[in-house]
Amino acid sequence: MKIIGDILTTTRDYIPDENGANVTHLIRNANISHGRLSKILSTLVEQGLLEQTSSKRACKYKISSEGREFLNAYNTFNEFAQNFGLRI
Amino acid sequence: MEFILENILNLIGFVVGLIIGIFSYVGYKNTGSPTLFRLTLAFFSISIGFFVIWVGYAAESFVIKSGQIERWVQTLGIGIQTIGYFFIAFSHSIKAFFPKSRYFRSIIFPLFIFSGSSVENIIRSISFIVLVYGTIETVISYIEGKKKSTLFVASGLGLLALGEFLGWYSLVFPESILYPVSVSTKIVGLLALFIPVSRVSLRGMKFASDAEE
Repeated sequence: MKIIGDILTTTRDYIPDENGANVTHLIRNANISHGRLSKILSTLVEQGLLEQTSSKRACKYKISSEGREFLNAYNTFNEFAQNFGLRI
Repeated sequence: MEFILENILNLIGFVVGLIIGIFSYVGYKNTGSPTLFRLTLAFFSISIGFFVIWVGYAAESFVIKSGQIERWVQTLGIGIQTIGYFFIAFSHSIKAFFPKSRYFRSIIFPLFIFSGSSVENIIRSISFIVLVYGTIETVISYIEGKKKSTLFVASGLGLLALGEFLGWYSLVFPESILYPVSVSTKIVGLLALFIPVSRVSLRGMKFASDAEE
């Protein structure tokens, strides 16, 4: 769950390229392996939380409006869970 | 008079537990988080537990009028609340609570089996121990994160534990003031749990079943 939060936050906050963040940047921020990240990214794209944009060099990912809503909910309820000393 | 007070206190417990339970459920539906699902089960159980006892008191006040609540109704309500307390502790990983050592098991388990003279005694003792565990884990989280709202939750769980202890002790002195004090302490504990919840904004939240992980 935290990894998904990190990925969505990274894609939301990524400013340098309007097409979105590349996989290398996401690996660095989420701190997970390429294989695992690929599975999570495809799930997030399937669920409509991320949009996949293709450029000449590689696939890039940017957050969708549903992704922003999910991230908003994630942050709100993560704070709620933290009040109980828990993580969501 | 005492009956009216206990009626009101149990009704407050029901409402506060229900609000926190609904909040957790909205969180679960929006994020699909298992932790929030466990908190939903916990607070709905606590709420239903208070509701059952309230129904017992209300039935006694307006229908049966024997001057005392049915013991089995009270035991049932407390039992349901205990399930809720268990889920709060379980969220902190209940595994750490039960030591693997045979030596510790030989000390702790007989406390559950032989100390109580009634089912209610046993249930209250389990509630108390589970709540103390939850309080300790939450205090540890506060020490790590220094988040003030975590302190409210730790105080709330601590007061619930104290309430259970007093309720347990009231079985020894059934006609004393201990039982109303126990219920009042538990309500203050629930209100302390509610303080951090009331600060979290629900604006923009929706029941998004397709947003699960």
